[in-house]
Amino acid sequence: MLTLDLAGNAQRIAAEATELLDAPRCPSGPTTLVLAGEQLALQIHESVGHAVELDRVLGYEASYAGTSWAPADGAGVLRYGSEAMSITADATLPGGLGSYRWDDEGVPAQPISIVRDGVLQGFLSNRESAAEIGLEHSAGCARAEGFARQPIVRMTNVSLDPGRAGSLEQLLSGVERGIYIDANRSWSIDSRRLHFQFGAEAAWEIVDGRLGRLLRDPVYAGVTPTFWASLDAVCSADEWRLVSFTDCGKGEPGQIARVSHGCAPARFRDVQVGAA
Amino acid sequence: MSDALDLARGALARAAGDALATVTRERSTMLRFARSRPTQATSVDDLTVEIAVLRGGHVGRSATNRTDDAALADCARTATLAAEAAAAAAGEGHYPGFPEPGTSREHGGFDAETARLDPATGGDALRATFDAARRGAASGDDSVAAPGASPPTAAVELGGVWTAGDVETAIASSSGVELTDRVTDAFMKTIATAPDGRTGYAAQAAVASSELDPAALAARAIAKATRPGDLASLEPGDYTVVMEPHAVLDLLWVLGETAFDGLAHAEGRGALSGRLGTSVASPAINLSDSPRFHATLPRAFDAEGVPKDPLPLIQDGVAQHVVHDTRSASIAGGATATTGHALVAGGQAAGPRPTNLVLIGGGAADEAELCAPVERGIYITRLWYAGVLRPTDSLFTAVTRDGAFLVEDGQVTRPIADMRITDSALSILSRVQALGARSVLTADGELYGRRFAAGAVCPPLRAGGVHFSGSASHG
Repeated sequence: MLTLDLAGNAQRIAAEATELLDAPRCPSGPTTLVLAGEQLALQIHESVGHAVELDRVLGYEASYAGTSWAPADGAGVLRYGSEAMSITADATLPGGLGSYRWDDEGVPAQPISIVRDGVLQGFLSNRESAAEIGLEHSAGCARAEGFARQPIVRMTNVSLDPGRAGSLEQLLSGVERGIYIDANRSWSIDSRRLHFQFGAEAAWEIVDGRLGRLLRDPVYAGVTPTFWASLDAVCSADEWRLVSFTDCGKGEPGQIARVSHGCAPARFRDVQVGAA
Repeated sequence: MSDALDLARGALARAAGDALATVTRERSTMLRFARSRPTQATSVDDLTVEIAVLRGGHVGRSATNRTDDAALADCARTATLAAEAAAAAAGEGHYPGFPEPGTSREHGGFDAETARLDPATGGDALRATFDAARRGAASGDDSVAAPGASPPTAAVELGGVWTAGDVETAIASSSGVELTDRVTDAFMKTIATAPDGRTGYAAQAAVASSELDPAALAARAIAKATRPGDLASLEPGDYTVVMEPHAVLDLLWVLGETAFDGLAHAEGRGALSGRLGTSVASPAINLSDSPRFHATLPRAFDAEGVPKDPLPLIQDGVAQHVVHDTRSASIAGGATATTGHALVAGGQAAGPRPTNLVLIGGGAADEAELCAPVERGIYITRLWYAGVLRPTDSLFTAVTRDGAFLVEDGQVTRPIADMRITDSALSILSRVQALGARSVLTADGELYGRRFAAGAVCPPLRAGGVHFSGSASHG
C-alpha cells in the first residue's frame, strides 16, 4: 500500500483534475495509441485474460460471463496479435494479487505461456477443463472467492511480457502524432471478448515524440485480434509494473477475484480514437 | 421474535455508542447448465452479522459469519476502529446518526413453497428445459419466430441457471430500530446457442419459483437463436429500435447509477442535477421506485431500517425525485431526507440506488405491434456490459447480445451481427415513441455477495434515433 505513494501523488492528480475542466475533447480518428499503467492492464484483462479462460472457451460460462472468440484448438495456431505480443500468466509472481502457492484444487501455482510472439500458446484452466481438451495437467487457475463458492477458472497474474523499446520516452519518440492513456473510467466488451470500447477521464496528446496537452473524455474501440495485431512496440523490463484489480466478477453465484497484470507501456498503431 | 433479530440485538449490545447491527441469513439453491447438461449445483446456507458504528460523522463497518460472543465483540471492535480511523483522518463527517424507527408495511414478497428450496424443483426445471430443446421451439417467440422457421434440433445447445433463495434480514440499532423482513426470489434464464454460433436469450424472475416456466423460456431462446435468414451486418448510425424488457432494464440500470443517485445529485455530478422539475423524457415515461408494485421483488425497509415507500422519479416525462440514503440526504442538506434507499448502513461509497424500478407501460399489445411502424430498425433482446461514459449526460455504451434482428417494413426479417450502442439513457427515453402494454419483472440474476435479488418491472418499448457506434464486424 505504501508503495502507491498516494499522498505523494495527490497534488499532481489535483492539478490534472483542475486542468481537465478546461481541457479540449480528445479528437476523433485513427491514430497511434500508447497505453500504460491501469489502462493497459485493463486492456490485457478484458481482451486477453478473460478470453483465454478455458471454461469460457468450452462454453461453460455461456449463461453469464460469456464465451470466447479463441477456439479450444487454437493453441499453437491462432494468431492473437503481432510478434511484439507475448503474454504470460504466472501465479508465482511476488506481490501479485493473483499469486498463491496452490490453487483451490490443490494444483501448484505455475507460469503458463498464453501468447508467444503473437500466437496463442495455452489457456487458463482448472482440472476439469484441462482434462476435457486433453492437457496433461491443469494450469492451476481454480480459485474460489470463499468457502461458500465453488472454485472456477480465474485469472492469476496475466501479464504482457516486456519488450525491447526501452523507456517510455524512447517509445514516445517513435510517435509523430498520437494519444497516451494510462488510467481508466469505463469499459465495455462483448460476450466473446472480441469487440471492445474503453474510455478514460484523461489522455495526453503526443506530438513529435513528446507528451503534450491534456485531453478529456477519450475513448477508443477495436476488435481484439486486430487491435493486438497493431501492437508494434513494448517498453523494456525497467518500465514493467504490476497493476492490480480487486473487483473481477465471474460465476454464478457471483464471485469477486483479485488479480494483477504486469505490463510496460505499449504502442498500438492505427487505433480508432474519439471522445465520449 | 425471530432468532435473527435476537442475534442483531446481541450484536448491537457489543458496540458502544451509536451503532446498527444487521443480520442477514441466506439460504439458496442454484443449478447451472451448459451445453445442454447440468454443470453446477450450489447450495448456500450462511449468515452474516454486520455491525456499523458511528464516530464523528463517519461510519465504520465490520462483518462476520461467526455468532459467538467473542466474534461479535471482535466485529464491534473492528467497526469502531474503522470509524475512529476515518474520523481521525478526515475530521467531522457528514453522517448525522442512524435513522429513527419508522413504520414498515407488509408485502407479498415471501413464498413458503419457494423457501423450501427443494432441489427437485430445480431439477424438474432443467429437465423441462432439455425436453423443450428436444421437442423444438414451435411455441417460441412470436416476435422473432417466422413462418417457415427451421425446426431446431438437438444441435442447439442450452445454457443457463435456475436459482431460488430465501433471505431473512434483521436490523437493530441504537436509535431504536428493531425490524425483520423475509423475502424469497426465483430466477431462471436460458441461452440457446445454434450450431452457427448465434444465440438467443429468455429469462424470468418472480417471488415464487412456481411462476417460472422453464419450457417456455427454452422455446423462446431457441426461437431467437435459430430464426432463419442470413446474418446481416449493419453500418454504424442512428436507428429506430424495439427493445425487449431485458434491454430496457439496462437503460434503467444506467439511470439508477447516473440520474437517480442522490449522492451524485447532491454533489452536482448527476444527470438530473439542476433538472428536477423539468422535462427530461418523453411524456409517455412514468418511472417510479415502487417496492410493493405488482410483480416486483418487494422489500420492507432499506439497509438502515428505513421503511420502503413508493417514490416517483419521472412523471409524464418530468423529473421528480432522486433517491437518498441518510448520508446523501445529509450532504444534500436543507429539508432533504432519506427516501429509504440505503444499500449498506451508513451509505455505500457509490451512493444510494433504486431497487424496485417500475416503468409504466403503454398501449402497444406486444413487440410485434411495436415493430409495425418501423421501416428499418433494430430489434434488441438484451444489452450487455453497459459502461457509463459520461455520467452527467447518462451517456453509456453497451453491446447487443443473444438476439439482435433487423426490422424491415414493420417485420423482424433476419438476424444481425451484434452492435455497439453508444447513447444517453435519458435521451433514449426522450425519444420513446411507444411502450408495450405488458410489463414484466426483469432481473439479470447477478448475485454477488450476500444474496440481494432486485429487478425492474418494465415493458418493451420503441425509440427513434438511437445511436450505434460500431459492431463486432466493423470495429
